[in-house]
Amino acid sequence: MTDAGSENSIDNGGNGAPLHLINKLDQAIALLAGGQEFAKIGKLPRVFDTCRRVLQHENGLALIEARAEALEHAGVFLGSDWAAPQHLVAPLSRHALTGGVDILLIETLSSLRLLAVARGQYQHPLISAEYANHYLTQILAINLDLLFSPADESRRLHQGRLAFLPGALLTHLASHIGYEQIVDKLIDEIWRVLEQRPIETGPVKQMITRIAACQYDPDIALTGAGADRLVSSLFGPTRASREDPGLEAYQERLAAMDEMTLQTEASGFARAMHDTGLVSAYHPLLLLHLLAHQENLLADALGLSSTGRDCMLCYRQLVHALIEQSVTPYTPQAIYGLALMLERGILYQSPLAPALWRQLRLSLCPEAVNRLTLVLPPDVSPETRLMEGVLCMLGQPLGVGQGNNPTCQSARALSMWSCNDPDYLLQMVAWAARDDEIIMHFEGQPVSSRLSDMGVAQTAPVDLDPVSMVVVPHLDRIYAEMGRRCIGRDGDPHRWVNPEFHGWWTGRGFRIGVDVKTGLLFETETFLRHFYASYHPFYNGNQPLIHPQPAGIAVTDSVARFIGWHAVTILRIGLDQENIMRVYFYNPNNDSGQDWGNGVVVSTAGQGERYGEASLPFEEFASRLYIFHYDPLEHGALAAIDADELQRVIVMIQESWGEARLPDVPLEGLLD
Amino acid sequence: MTASITKDVNKGYIALLGWSLNAIEAAENFDRRYIVVAPDWAEPYCTEHNIPYLPWNFERLNDRSMEIAEKLHELGVDVAIPLFEETVEWAGAINSVLMDNPRLFGQSMLMRDKSLMKRRAQLGGIRVGIFEEAHDREDVIRFLRRVNQTLLKLDGDPNDPIHFKAFDKAGCLGHRVIRTPDEVDAIPDEEFPALMESHLDGWEFAVEAWVHNGKIVFLNISEYVTLGYSVYVPASPALEEYRPQIRQQIEKLIRTFDIEFGFIHPEYFVTSDGEMYFGEVAYRPPGFKVFELLERVYGFNAYQALILCFDPKATKEEVSAFFPREVVDAKGYAGCFGVYPRRRVVSVLEIPEETESHPYFESHELTAPLQETVTKRTAFGTHWGLVYFVGDDADTLHKLLKHQEELDFYL
Repeated sequence: MTDAGSENSIDNGGNGAPLHLINKLDQAIALLAGGQEFAKIGKLPRVFDTCRRVLQHENGLALIEARAEALEHAGVFLGSDWAAPQHLVAPLSRHALTGGVDILLIETLSSLRLLAVARGQYQHPLISAEYANHYLTQILAINLDLLFSPADESRRLHQGRLAFLPGALLTHLASHIGYEQIVDKLIDEIWRVLEQRPIETGPVKQMITRIAACQYDPDIALTGAGADRLVSSLFGPTRASREDPGLEAYQERLAAMDEMTLQTEASGFARAMHDTGLVSAYHPLLLLHLLAHQENLLADALGLSSTGRDCMLCYRQLVHALIEQSVTPYTPQAIYGLALMLERGILYQSPLAPALWRQLRLSLCPEAVNRLTLVLPPDVSPETRLMEGVLCMLGQPLGVGQGNNPTCQSARALSMWSCNDPDYLLQMVAWAARDDEIIMHFEGQPVSSRLSDMGVAQTAPVDLDPVSMVVVPHLDRIYAEMGRRCIGRDGDPHRWVNPEFHGWWTGRGFRIGVDVKTGLLFETETFLRHFYASYHPFYNGNQPLIHPQPAGIAVTDSVARFIGWHAVTILRIGLDQENIMRVYFYNPNNDSGQDWGNGVVVSTAGQGERYGEASLPFEEFASRLYIFHYDPLEHGALAAIDADELQRVIVMIQESWGEARLPDVPLEGLLD
Repeated sequence: MTASITKDVNKGYIALLGWSLNAIEAAENFDRRYIVVAPDWAEPYCTEHNIPYLPWNFERLNDRSMEIAEKLHELGVDVAIPLFEETVEWAGAINSVLMDNPRLFGQSMLMRDKSLMKRRAQLGGIRVGIFEEAHDREDVIRFLRRVNQTLLKLDGDPNDPIHFKAFDKAGCLGHRVIRTPDEVDAIPDEEFPALMESHLDGWEFAVEAWVHNGKIVFLNISEYVTLGYSVYVPASPALEEYRPQIRQQIEKLIRTFDIEFGFIHPEYFVTSDGEMYFGEVAYRPPGFKVFELLERVYGFNAYQALILCFDPKATKEEVSAFFPREVVDAKGYAGCFGVYPRRRVVSVLEIPEETESHPYFESHELTAPLQETVTKRTAFGTHWGLVYFVGDDADTLHKLLKHQEELDFYL
């Protein structure tokens, strides 16, 4: 998401619904209202479809809400469960809001009707305003996570262009019935997201702004722990900024501070930043002030350890130039990115510093400027915004998210390059931003992003970090083109595409757990034994994973139904504090904390995860894995996994995504 | 919620043959009493919603045909109106009893047999293309060869296509265009016997004509953009220029087929020299929801018009007061586009953004795909649903409808 946040995705075109569309909505409602009882069913699709189109505009929710009574009287809920709002069960809204377009639409209409009732605009014969208010509170609490995370694979698949709607609806509901009712849960949710340290902090910052509004409201008693920390990290992390004085006032205060006070301020900002991953707009003012007047405190303001401090001193001029170009009150996250990049010590890789100098002087092509304009805060140049994005991506390689786009492969590649080959990443950014063209090679043949057809994504992304905004459209086309060049080959295209697309370190050995032609499970036992032998430290000679490896996951939903194939990166395998062997991985999806059903819940914190990592016990991860790479030269014997463990994994496969994919012959594991 | 209409008890009942919710609703909102004659699966719905209903399974005519006619007669029904191709001969049989006019049955049989229909038209001095009946695939191949010989084609020249239409199917169902003998093999057995016609390059259009006392009381010209894909009403000004000639042709058709009342839906070609060729005629409402399009631009309900023109008790004044003036009273143009998936494997319905955001776009009745693999289209086949457009300019609408053919609605 962008700093402009969810507003961007709601408006979806930049303006309100055109008059002719509003007229069509009213006509459709009138036709339904005028229809004979028995013929209403034939007139419903038109009403729903027109509502859907109206909802895609910025003021859509308000337009529908204003017509809630007319819609219900016309008969939109007739014959459905929603006709009896007094019997609706709030937890079921979860299913509706994450389900297909039809059910999502009717739930949206119903919720807007309840909102109209709650606000006293619609006297409903069956429910009171208080009841409606209470019910909507429950809906908000249950679906809180949809408020700020972009759609996951399941919703992208089922809801298409409407995937923004659940979030927009909940925001609309909350802004009218108030956040105070849900604020405690909201705070927990924000902390959960922040523990993954996303690069895109726009949605989270919006939520915190709303919580801040609740804090100042004397009628609301906030009990949730951590609200203070969140709000203060944005609006008053230090002694001199505690009461949120405004940028101008703070700038004046800076001028009057002695070294001691500046020191306190610097460490105050740094603490808040490293605590939450969020950077206050005051922080840039201090940093720029220090740069000009008190350079010796820069490391304190960045919260650097001896590693980072050392790195900064070695590359003093470069760091100064980076700060000057990227840090403004509107691009504060650049500070966090810079601090973490210095901590990683990657500047010591010799190509990196010159590559960053190139980035500093890069002149952007008009296409890149256009794309960046979509995520540009006021008074910020595209170069500054891009630089902020570059620093964040180098500092937080696991904070890259794919937004609401089917481009998990491209997001994964960016993250992997940042981890493993950061100067290559900078090369990609330079090509895309300066030349509007990236050329990669596939089996010796050049593949240009300019000459290739459509990518996987049908439309240009709008809700990504600046680097992704510029680079992903190119990568996506190249990735799709590489796939096209594999058409006609026997086997899964990832076998050839992954190593060429991601980097030389991707194992050329490839193993897939399903038969490509039939989609049925294929040699499951051998597949698993091979995976254990390649990755599990107990079976591979205790060899830690050297390079991040792409892997393919069969994503399942919370009731373990298959949703689709998804790209992740295996980062490392290790024992957690309870001595359980876990796979730590990166999921380009924006929120890795997902419930994959049958007890497989991806953890993002508390089990030894570093920021941005997701983890599962080895067995559970294996039960959702369908593609992995390995080095064919290092491949030894298949792992002699103990029969119980193998059996457990196979059962987990059978009971989830493998359910409809059982081959005619029994899975080998079941033979004994 | 809807005020009920006072029914005119001085008039008789109307029977609607076949199940159409739009027709039933029109009847409910009209002052004539009516009864729906439909297969017994409709019974629960009719009972639940108090729709007057008589169960009947329309298969081939049999010796029980008399039974339904007498039943309807006892109920006070004056006329039966066919809503679908399959009920046309039933209406003929029933009406010949109700109106004591045996010729009506013969007339309906003419409408149900494309070959008889063509011959009758030819006898009446109406221009038709070359046509022949086919009983097996041999006949088709011979006709294809003969037609192309007539056109002085040499071996190896691409053939001119011929049209192949199952005798008794409605509209585009069972309508194939055949260019090569290979395509002949793809015709399933059940589509024989069939009518074959030479292909005419020209402007194809259809007419909806309401007839009362042997006179046309309202004539609409529907312009096809691409046969089987799209149609709009009223026709573009360029085609409407032919209205006087078209009207003459329809009058000739009505005389030739002895049509005194009701509604006909013929199809014609205008060739580049302005000559009109008769294609076929149906005695039932047209497909592609043309009735709905007409209501959208003219404001009158075409099903109610149907009831009026069939009802022997309708007066001349009633009829002339009902209809608007042709063309001039139309508010804009309304058209629809039949969507066929263009890919072999589809999983989601997604209306193209450019379609949806066009100011002419009004609504669609497409549903999410039930199966993932699209059956290969052989005949013109059945579209997966219609998309509706309304606008002020015929040319814009025409191009818009044409452009839809290049878009994917199913991905």
